[in-house]
Amino acid sequence: MRFIAPALVLLVAAFLLPLLYVVYLSFGGSSPSLEKYAAIATEPLYRQVLLNSVYISVVSTGLTLLLGYPIAYHLEAQPPRRRTVLMILVLMPFWTSILVKSFAFTVILGKSGIINSFLQWATGMEGHLPMLFNRFGVVVGMTHFLLPFMVFTVLASLLTQGPELRRAANVMGATRLTIFWRIIFPLSLPGVMAGILICMIMSMAMFITPALLGGRGDLMISNLVEFHVRDTLDWEMASALAVCLLAITGVFCIGIARVRGGQLFGEEG
Amino acid sequence: MARQTTIEERVPSAATRLIAWLGYAFLLMPSLVVLPMSFGTGTEFDFPPKSFSLDLYREYFSEPSWVASTLTSLQVAAASAALSLLIGGLAAYGIVRYQFRGKKLLTIFLLSPMLVPTIVVALALYLYLGIARATGTTWGLILCHAVVCVPYVIVTMMAGLRQVDRNLEIAATIMGASWFGVLTRVTIPLLRPTILASGLFAFLISFDEVVISFFVSGVRTQTLPVKMYSTIHWEISPVLAAVSSLLTILSLGICILVAALQKER
Repeated sequence: MRFIAPALVLLVAAFLLPLLYVVYLSFGGSSPSLEKYAAIATEPLYRQVLLNSVYISVVSTGLTLLLGYPIAYHLEAQPPRRRTVLMILVLMPFWTSILVKSFAFTVILGKSGIINSFLQWATGMEGHLPMLFNRFGVVVGMTHFLLPFMVFTVLASLLTQGPELRRAANVMGATRLTIFWRIIFPLSLPGVMAGILICMIMSMAMFITPALLGGRGDLMISNLVEFHVRDTLDWEMASALAVCLLAITGVFCIGIARVRGGQLFGEEG
Repeated sequence: MARQTTIEERVPSAATRLIAWLGYAFLLMPSLVVLPMSFGTGTEFDFPPKSFSLDLYREYFSEPSWVASTLTSLQVAAASAALSLLIGGLAAYGIVRYQFRGKKLLTIFLLSPMLVPTIVVALALYLYLGIARATGTTWGLILCHAVVCVPYVIVTMMAGLRQVDRNLEIAATIMGASWFGVLTRVTIPLLRPTILASGLFAFLISFDEVVISFFVSGVRTQTLPVKMYSTIHWEISPVLAAVSSLLTILSLGICILVAALQKER
């Protein structure tokens, strides 16, 4: 107990209490009311932003799965040495600042960016594809951000599968496709589910990507929190939105704990 | 021994390999774009650059606001990494080596900052520091970053501690070492690679942290990511390519270092 005391003190003082204060403010602070929550539930702006968040998160998470699963599968099939080397390709972007990525995508997707310049050069036509400061840009940036998380989660679950079942199926004459769809994929489903939930948690709360790569119509919940803190100084509204985000995250966390057999982080074992 | 061909040595189908390699390319794309651009000249974004120079790096190192924000970031990252390493390391030790009531719940609480959305933490700390009149102070920033770093340190250290042979600690205890002696002369030396890796992670997390810093840092304590954020937001400048390249190299360096440390373990 004495060993965890310092961490406990820090997190109670600088994490739990601040969070409780946010909850307190969201309910009107010293004059309790549900006014802010009522506004969130009824005003079109908030519904639109919630819809944006869900849409962008679902599309990005879907794309992340479509791209991430083959990467994880490819990594798993490599001999350990080669896998370590290829893992660096996934780890690198994981450890790269999101600002570096956002900056790179503004250069790649921009009006006179790399892709548009190339297209103009290749087709000889004027004009450009709108890929930045719109939903497309946000989804690309978000997918890039989420991809390593999906790869790690799915890879971990693929690596725990023993070779016995696959070998048995192989001996019995199953084709590669059958082995994949009847054994490998079903066994990896908990990993896939965990990956989806982790990506949903992170994308729903994304702040930087929609702020830098999105347009005015692509505001997400986090951006609205910032808007209320900086522009309207409506801290109670910002707090209410934060509590909603927290609640959404909580629901997804319960999902993760279920998929992982009661453990949120794998804290035991 | 004859080499057995088994199903686990299978080669993924051509389509899988194609998608996987497209995925790797997509993952690397930002770094591959930023690096060559940083050696470009002048004020235009050209890719690939028409001529190469170190102009952008020179601009970065001679612009006081970039240098100042970099120094702030280094200072904050070093301090919060040290703080979270100490606090988180002790916590991990307590969790792995001791049994106590409510351990599971406490562990989840200690790790929960990883799950709570950063924007929520940022808002909470912004309001909280506002009450304490500590917004914009360096120590406030360090404390906020420590909150985010501690859980990562705990997770990495827990994994490392579980691999340390308990019998060595028990043997030292039987030979008459105090718990402090066991900790400093047996456990910590055995854990050296893990400690270094957690410290580097914490440093990088703090150094790259942007959302919380954006809320709680002041004009004088603007960190490098906050400066980058406002530059991208308001007046995209080519110097960003140089900053981004330096950050990419930093991440790559730490990544390789950690991989090497893991091999040592």
